[in-house]
Amino acid sequence: MVWTGLVIGIIFGVVLQRGRICFNSAFRDVLIFKDNYLMRLAALTLGLQSITFLIFAQAGLIKLAPMPLNWIANIVGGYIFGVGMVLGGGCASGVTYRIGEGMTTAWLAALAFGLTARATEAGLFSKWISWLRSYNVTVQNTTALYAPKTGPSVATILGISPWIVSVIFALLMLWYAFGVKNKSQRPSRLNWIAASVLIAILAPIAWWASAKAGRNYGLGITGGWTNIISVYTGNVKLSWIGAEVLGIIIGSAISAIIGKEFKLRMPKDPKTYVQVLAGGFLMGFGAATAGGCNIGHFLTGVPLLAISSIVASVFFILGNWTMAWFLYGRQK
Amino acid sequence: MAKYQVTKTLDVRGEVCPVPDVETSRALKSMKSGEILEVWIDYPMSKERIPETVKKLGHELLEIEEIGPSEWKLYIKVK
Repeated sequence: MVWTGLVIGIIFGVVLQRGRICFNSAFRDVLIFKDNYLMRLAALTLGLQSITFLIFAQAGLIKLAPMPLNWIANIVGGYIFGVGMVLGGGCASGVTYRIGEGMTTAWLAALAFGLTARATEAGLFSKWISWLRSYNVTVQNTTALYAPKTGPSVATILGISPWIVSVIFALLMLWYAFGVKNKSQRPSRLNWIAASVLIAILAPIAWWASAKAGRNYGLGITGGWTNIISVYTGNVKLSWIGAEVLGIIIGSAISAIIGKEFKLRMPKDPKTYVQVLAGGFLMGFGAATAGGCNIGHFLTGVPLLAISSIVASVFFILGNWTMAWFLYGRQK
Repeated sequence: MAKYQVTKTLDVRGEVCPVPDVETSRALKSMKSGEILEVWIDYPMSKERIPETVKKLGHELLEIEEIGPSEWKLYIKVK
């Protein structure tokens, strides 16, 4: 069933490329350019997903699994990842889809990201992770919507139905997406509402397919890259999530070539390569520490109202804002 | 070939996100009213994002000229 990861990855890659969906940009544009186009796209996607995940869980197709809460890991890892994505020139999904567009800086950033995430999970920095994991907080769930043992979510902490929490969350997100003043517009190839709806439909299907392949979680990037690195360097089989990441690259490449947007892009100043390598390193260490990147935590975990993902995402944004201000915000 | 009386040219092809946008804003700030900035760009997202930023800053986008595969020239008139 690994092939379903490839198919879903290809669709996701096309949507990312056509919609120009990069969360590094989404977070930063609000601060630096006062441009909320991608942030509104993100809000709408999260809001819709919080409902579509629950529909799938209610139908018994998936078991929701908020990631374990780990204050140190989510805060420290989240902040480091946030700083790294600015230097790397894109978030985990951003650099992955830009590989397919021919952006050479993204190739290097992704390579450093995957290698370092793998080193953090199972290599040179693995002691750090095994020490941190002893502080994981999990809960035993009683409702059938959730997997038996998961991290806490807003619903499990308050002891109320996740439907109540998700509906309130979705309304808040819809209010931001459509109600905020000064809406930024952009002539993207794929309209922001269409992109959000597509992802909100794709995400629970991805979860269902991934669970069928033995991995009970939705879309992700970090685990896919560490798997690809292991497949390449060790005798490891390609996993569902590894196939999904390969699919994103293939889908984005197809989309870019058809859209006449494929081009080998190289910066004039070679120092940029050093910057994106450093960024990829911080992204890999940060994401592996935090237990996920902007897709695993922000896109997939926040709609579950997982406390871990909410904490990590707040620190993704704070790290992003810190570095974006240093590099681009001053002396404007 | 010269379509406009370009005062300054900015070549930001190959730069990482969001360097094209930031360099454009910085260049516009250093220019005088009525002058025209030409931005040479190959990054699709910035091609779509810069016009919005330019509008917000009050400048006028004269044209987005497609000059090759995923390469564009943006002409911006300073307010």
